[in-house]
Amino acid sequence: MTSNFNHRQSAHCESGVTANLLSHHGLTMSEAMAFGLGAGLLFGYFPFIRINKLPLATFRTAPGNIFKKVTGRLGIQVTRHAFSDQKRAMDELDRCLAEGVPVGLQTGVYWLPYFPPALRFHFNAHNLVVYGKEGETYHISDPVFGETVTCAAADLVRARFAQGALAPKGKMYRISHIPSSIDHAPAIIKSIREVCRVMVKVPFPLLGTRGIRYMAGQMEKWPARLGERMAILYLGHIIRMQEEIGTGGGGFRFIYAAFLQEAAEVLGDRRYLDISARLTSIGDRWRDFAVAGAQHCKGRAAEGESFADLSRILRDCADKETLLFHDLYALTKN
Amino acid sequence: MQDNLEKELTEMLIEACRVTDPIPAEISPDAPLIGPDSPFDLDSLDAVEVVVAVQRKYNVRIESSESSRQVLQSLRTLADYIRRHRE
Repeated sequence: MTSNFNHRQSAHCESGVTANLLSHHGLTMSEAMAFGLGAGLLFGYFPFIRINKLPLATFRTAPGNIFKKVTGRLGIQVTRHAFSDQKRAMDELDRCLAEGVPVGLQTGVYWLPYFPPALRFHFNAHNLVVYGKEGETYHISDPVFGETVTCAAADLVRARFAQGALAPKGKMYRISHIPSSIDHAPAIIKSIREVCRVMVKVPFPLLGTRGIRYMAGQMEKWPARLGERMAILYLGHIIRMQEEIGTGGGGFRFIYAAFLQEAAEVLGDRRYLDISARLTSIGDRWRDFAVAGAQHCKGRAAEGESFADLSRILRDCADKETLLFHDLYALTKN
Repeated sequence: MQDNLEKELTEMLIEACRVTDPIPAEISPDAPLIGPDSPFDLDSLDAVEVVVAVQRKYNVRIESSESSRQVLQSLRTLADYIRRHRE
């Protein structure tokens, strides 16, 4: 029981799964559009929340939000399940596959054997699509891979019931119904406004551009407060969250800029193209930060790559993003 | 045997990532660029420097769906990507 599923690689798992599942059901969508409609862009710095003993810096919204918002805003019906019983979870997956329905799963990366050992880490909110089963082997469209992959049933059970933070608890989801006519424009506007509000209007110091400035202020003090070794661990962690964890680079800024390009076409408003170009340029500035930071982490920092210099780049990003998101919000009002 | 672009990329990598340790005289174009088997001894933090160096030197962006994971597999995959996307 294997359905035809058009696998497309993406930078980020949740927006990739969302786009691929919807496209399978006839609503063709790019990863960038899924990310934008899902209001995926964010900045948050939460030093009191620890990931592997390092402070949480996030460049995206919480896992699950993108799929939820895209489907909700487009009026798409979704069936979701979570399980405490492993057998029931696998039986329900098999039942859907027998009907030829591809299913989205939340899984723990560490237990997926097709990930090279060097790339396995304890992250329990990895999304993928199961689209078929032969014997005890599942056929999987994992959007961060170039081709489809397979996974033995026993391994998939372990991945679906991984323990720890964000434990998947067998969560699965599938598309039940897509309306025959969908107007993307209002959903795009609503999603853009949501991102703008979080980035510049919510008066919470750890979120949006305020959060970027807060992190910049903290970063300057890291060497004195934490010692050079720990400060470098903190810095390396921020750079990895920005550039590696499926962000498409620049902390998702490039993906969101691609979304704004598509939004310009859908809305028939070329001004969104200008904002898109500005955001790409800001993404490059984030990458300047990552490059200088990486040199620092490697112990080969040159002039202009001190923690104070890195903080200055972050403040520059925050200043530019403050202007950009105010301008973008104003555009949605016109 | 490296082609001209792959040789050029080797020099760019050494400069961008400030590689100071000696590297083999002959580097296979299929050798992994990043990771424990990299002849340049590059890791994931170096990857972002490579991405930016490619953008500056060749005006080619490595981002989004065609992710850096695949492009940065080897000198050959990187050179192929640049040839396909160079303006």
